[in-house]
Amino acid sequence: MSEEKQPVNEQNASSTHFGYQTVDTAVKESKVAGVFHSVAQQYDVMNDLMSFGIHRLWKRFTIDASGVRPGNNVLDLAGGTGDLTAKFSKLVGREGRVVLADINSSMLNVGRDKLRDKGLVQNIDYVQANAEYLPFEDNTFDIITIAFGLRNVTHKDRALRSMYRVLKPGGRLLVLEFSKPEHEIINKAYDFYSFNLLPKMGELVAKDGDSYQYLAESIRMHPDQETLKQMMDDAGFEQTSYKNLTDGIVALHKGFKF
Amino acid sequence: MSTIMHHQMLCGFIEKVVNALLSMNLSSSASLVALEQKTLVVSLAELNFPLSLTVSDKQLLVTCITERSDCQIDTSLATLKTLKEEQQLTELIKQDKLNIVGDVKVAQQFADVFQQLDIDWQSEIASYIGDVPTYKLGRFHQWLLAKVTFAKQQVSADASEWLLHEKRVLVSNGELQQLYGQIQQAQQAIQQIEQRISQLDDAINASHQESLS
Ligand SMILES: C[S@@+](CC[C@H](N)C(=O)[O-])C[C@H]1O[C@@H](n2cnc3c(N)ncnc32)[C@H](O)[C@@H]1O
Repeated sequence: MSEEKQPVNEQNASSTHFGYQTVDTAVKESKVAGVFHSVAQQYDVMNDLMSFGIHRLWKRFTIDASGVRPGNNVLDLAGGTGDLTAKFSKLVGREGRVVLADINSSMLNVGRDKLRDKGLVQNIDYVQANAEYLPFEDNTFDIITIAFGLRNVTHKDRALRSMYRVLKPGGRLLVLEFSKPEHEIINKAYDFYSFNLLPKMGELVAKDGDSYQYLAESIRMHPDQETLKQMMDDAGFEQTSYKNLTDGIVALHKGFKF
Repeated sequence: MSTIMHHQMLCGFIEKVVNALLSMNLSSSASLVALEQKTLVVSLAELNFPLSLTVSDKQLLVTCITERSDCQIDTSLATLKTLKEEQQLTELIKQDKLNIVGDVKVAQQFADVFQQLDIDWQSEIASYIGDVPTYKLGRFHQWLLAKVTFAKQQVSADASEWLLHEKRVLVSNGELQQLYGQIQQAQQAIQQIEQRISQLDDAINASHQESLS
């Protein structure tokens, strides 16, 4: 089992984590951008491969938990190649609207092409935006989702406050993200998989082992279930809760704005 | 795999199968247009979670969202099959075999669509590739149809029984706990072996030191 690289914990106000490395906050954004520019074209294939297709089930569960209705305004933040946007677009109908927002132009382009190929054009807007500074009016959205995006954001607390601001009263935020497995044995197996197999698969299929090493490290550095719940509380969300999926490898956090 | 994941898998599976059939069956098109953005929520006695069926752009979306619906049905799988005949509907409601809330017309339109999924393969294929190859394919199709019909009869003979059986195949919480217990035991055994190895290692090192001094 590989524990080659240990997380570096010391951090100050102007530094943050990029995987296990401590980097200047300004550097993290460009490094993350580099990762997603690099993986964009292969992202969907790799997603299916790395998760054995289970990410589709996690995403289906997120859609269920959203309680989306026809006519809703939905923000799919850090939406990347638009898996959630595609489903939401069908469920909100013509009166509804879905905004696919992502900081990365390559991911947005791949997403836009994919959704257009599926004939989804009526009710989707594409916005290049940083989750920390959302370019929308206060109280705009009924639902905000951020799937596998928050761990890449430099200032998560700032991003959560920004999401709170643009959510309508009565609206809900759903954060789908890797988390901490409930059982130690699963944790160990998962560690082995992430640090030994995943970067190799990245190297073999996407010719980009480094990006997948970063993905594995960023997953470990992401706050666990309770910490993220507390962060959502601190940002102002109410009735926050979470549901562990696949033994807590992934968790879906939910919070409301009233 | 957790119950949540099983539910999602089942929803995904139904969605895939029905949409594949819908895309081949052009006649269901008109009924689907009428159902655009309509949602039917079905709670089956055999399943412990509701299925929400929404039509969007002539496709069916299957979710577990219950917050939205034009019509809700509580029934069993066996009863559901008879939903088509209106007079029987009242009868079933009276017999407490079926409970409908909302727009009954929506339920009937959904039932229509599902009935139409009974595909006439031969005419479908003919419209794509012409009649001569279809004749040959038709013979193969008849043979296939006989097999499928037989299988279908077997399944629909007692669909509820089948579902109950499937339920039994799923891993229960108790079984999962037992598995975790076994894994923990295995872990302890490995730890003991590791300790033993390191003791042996120490002993070898010690005797090595002795032989050197
Ligand atoms: C792992 S992908 C997830 C994509 C998609 N949501 C999914 O589940 O398939 C992470 C996405 O987060 C985006 N991202 C990273 N930092 C961001 C930020 N500060 N603001 C908005 N998007 C960001 C990346 O560009 C990338 O597209």
